[in-house]
Amino acid sequence: MTSAPFASPPTVPPASWLARALGFFSGTVGLVIKFTLLAVVNALAIWAFSILLNDGKWIAALVVAGVTVLIDVAYLVPSKRLVPVKFLIPGTIFLVAFVVVPIVSNANIAFTNWSTGHNLSKDEAITAIEEVSLAPSAEASTYTATPARKDGEIVLLLRDEATGELYAGSEDGLEPLPAETTTVENGTIVAAEGYEVLQGDELLAADTEITELVIPTGGDVFIRAEGLSLAVELQPTLRYDPETDTFTNIETGAVFTDNGEGSFVAETGEALEPGWRTHIGFANFETILTDPLVRDPFFRVFLWTFAYAFLSVLIQFAIGLFLAITLNKPDLKLQRIQRAFLVLPFAIPAFLAVLVWQGLLNDEFGVVNQLLRTDIPWLFDPTWAKVSCVLVNVWIGFPYWFLVCTGALQAVPEELTEAARVDGAGGLQVFRKVTFPLLLVATAPLLIASFAFNFNLFNNIYFLTGGGPYEVEQTVAGSTDILISYTYKIAFQAGGGAQYGLAAAVSIFIFFIVAGISAISFWRTKALEEIK
Amino acid sequence: MLSTRRLRVVAGLAVAALAALAAAAAGTSATDQSQTLVIWADADRVPAVTQVANGWAANKGVTVRVVQKEMGPIRQEIATVAAENAPDVIVGAHDWVGELSSNGSVVPLTPAAATRAQFPRYALDAFSYGTAIKKLYGAPVALENVALVTNTKLAKAPKTFADMEKQALAAKKKTKAQVGISVQQGQGDAYHMYPFFSGLGGYVFGTNRAGNLDPSDIGVANPRFLRNAPLIDKWNKEGLIRSQVNDSIAKDLFLKGKTAYWITGPWFLADIRKAGLKYQVSAFPQIVPGTKSVPFLGVQGFMVTKFAAAHGVQAQAKDLVSNYMMQPSAQLRLASANDRTPANTRAAALVKDKDLKAFASASVGGVPMPNIPAMASVWQDLGAAWVRSTKGSGSTPARRSFVAAQRSIAQKIG
Repeated sequence: MTSAPFASPPTVPPASWLARALGFFSGTVGLVIKFTLLAVVNALAIWAFSILLNDGKWIAALVVAGVTVLIDVAYLVPSKRLVPVKFLIPGTIFLVAFVVVPIVSNANIAFTNWSTGHNLSKDEAITAIEEVSLAPSAEASTYTATPARKDGEIVLLLRDEATGELYAGSEDGLEPLPAETTTVENGTIVAAEGYEVLQGDELLAADTEITELVIPTGGDVFIRAEGLSLAVELQPTLRYDPETDTFTNIETGAVFTDNGEGSFVAETGEALEPGWRTHIGFANFETILTDPLVRDPFFRVFLWTFAYAFLSVLIQFAIGLFLAITLNKPDLKLQRIQRAFLVLPFAIPAFLAVLVWQGLLNDEFGVVNQLLRTDIPWLFDPTWAKVSCVLVNVWIGFPYWFLVCTGALQAVPEELTEAARVDGAGGLQVFRKVTFPLLLVATAPLLIASFAFNFNLFNNIYFLTGGGPYEVEQTVAGSTDILISYTYKIAFQAGGGAQYGLAAAVSIFIFFIVAGISAISFWRTKALEEIK
Repeated sequence: MLSTRRLRVVAGLAVAALAALAAAAAGTSATDQSQTLVIWADADRVPAVTQVANGWAANKGVTVRVVQKEMGPIRQEIATVAAENAPDVIVGAHDWVGELSSNGSVVPLTPAAATRAQFPRYALDAFSYGTAIKKLYGAPVALENVALVTNTKLAKAPKTFADMEKQALAAKKKTKAQVGISVQQGQGDAYHMYPFFSGLGGYVFGTNRAGNLDPSDIGVANPRFLRNAPLIDKWNKEGLIRSQVNDSIAKDLFLKGKTAYWITGPWFLADIRKAGLKYQVSAFPQIVPGTKSVPFLGVQGFMVTKFAAAHGVQAQAKDLVSNYMMQPSAQLRLASANDRTPANTRAAALVKDKDLKAFASASVGGVPMPNIPAMASVWQDLGAAWVRSTKGSGSTPARRSFVAAQRSIAQKIG
């Protein structure tokens, strides 16, 4: 490690900065950096491993351990065969973490009933149902309570708010307290002989004991603390039987059984809240295909999404290309400044630009109608709102195409265009027969990617029109809703609360639509490659 | 220069040292958690909540940590947050309660009878939810509702609706404004148009015999409302209202003295005062005989999450929420920090501000925003119906528009 491998012979001009940087980092410095980074990776891995193990997540912990060992081996064992692995590892890790894991977890959610009312595990739901079923007892007694200890056991010193009677309540039940040895202030017991009243830190330490203390008072009825200074007498109205996995209404005898879809349901159809998260097979996909609420707008929304993405990309590209050609003359004055100005819309955060446009396009108060002296309902008429959506999207997106086309134009070999001219082709002909096809070879994949991107461009629709305006016959999806904003509405506005499972299923549909369109397009553009 | 082999050894040691450090850090951070009570609150409420909660925490051995979040995320993340990052107490609005309790995210509370007696019935009802047994899930802290704000230089606070209509249109002509009354809409805002809607006989959900909101009884296009609905078409035609007026335009028009009336809430009191206008806050006039025009009522308050028990602070959290925060002194400090009326009536009696008092009297007879999850299906359609009928030229007649909204809502609720 004494000499850098990139040391340049004296006759050659100073090596490029890249070569010099490479030389610098190949020495001891590089090695130190490498080991530091590896150390950080290992430290993070051990940290993650211990947390995962703590939570009992065995599989995830093993994956972390395995990957870490692989990384260490790849970068520490000096072997020629491991060189490709060194380059593959970072990319693969990022691919798995940011692409594969979200897709798998989304697909997994699509097969569950995860939604408002079905958010807990089954055990949690059973506990919650028991809690919700507690009613005030027949006497509805309430007590002021003072947590205390006797022989180390937690006790509540209770004073009946209605009668003023004094008790000590423990898990064995109530025991009357003699008034002579008990001190009451402001309706609350502050001291009692034989009991050690808890204060400050002691209360905090005993929190779980206080919360879980159940003082039986006969039958099902019991007294429980509510916070630190109050206790109430409660009576369950439902009883859970773990043997049969059913809830029974104590008063009416109605039986609630697990319906396999995350709820306890009675024969009358009445369901207990809350339910729980569970796998429900293809039910969400069935809903998409059969529920008129989801199915009916789907085709209309799909058509508009397609038109929106297609028109946006086409017009963005056309304008970008036109401007790129116009500004491509080398003798143009202030060329750089002009180019910089054209790229400005690209530099403004898109959602901010959309919000500004929303103000500008307001038909009564906006600047656009005032300048044009028109009365166009830009955002409040279904057709015009669609025009506005494309318009705003074009404004945001054309600089991108301007940049891409400028780059691509400069890559078109001048010999070819000159040769065409020599052969007697006019300007337009040169463009149509030579420049444009060559340009398409470079930009076609980007056009397809841009189409897929616009297909799922949630922000522009959400902030500009919110999917509206809604015509009288429209439910869930408005006139300008695209598939992704429509999915959002299904997930959060239809059916009461959030429906994550259904939304995940719809997004899988969208994935296949976009993937299908992209696949066909790529297949078709292979034809362009032949020009090369 | 070090030899490669020696470097390897040094590096290996560094790896081990760092790893041990990380493991130690992981070990200690886990034990810290239980001594802290975590509260999620929105930016407007963080300072007052921090101050009041710390007053409670003094000599309790608990540290309070108030985490600032936006309202929407508090409501959504509470369903998905990992237990170790979860709050023990959240500050939120009463209409979240149906969703949160059917998700099992919040636990029921039982304040002392003497404490409960200090609150208006509707404030406690607003935070109560349950299909079989209604339970209280939040401690009400502050009340809010919209009222009518009049620019007294342009018009007088109206006695009747006809009077308001006349004055608003006269002011509109004088100031050459595009609209008579500032009512924020934009893409639809059922909350701000509700006084008109209720004044014409509309309601969202009826109540069943048990006193619970009944999602199968939707009153968006009830016969009484439909009889009166053509008035909306009239207001649209004469430019009394316009759905193109969004939140910022509504505010701008009123504060710049273009519109005589603004339907808004106490959250803009500071801005109104800063603008130096002469103004008066009052209740809505009655639109049609026999029907009161009332606003939606909002109640903000504290809720205890299901995570408090696992964190070992549930009794503490309940003490903070259903005992301390419901007392008059805490209520007065929390509510007045944000220009709101305290929910506790004893604290409310101490409020001297005449504007807040006027907002409170405009709330009489108001309807708490429905707190059942089915309400999520209503906002969009109800707002869209109003927008369709009040966008100037090309508007859909109100009857047709609201009948469509009713159908759509019923279809969504299923």
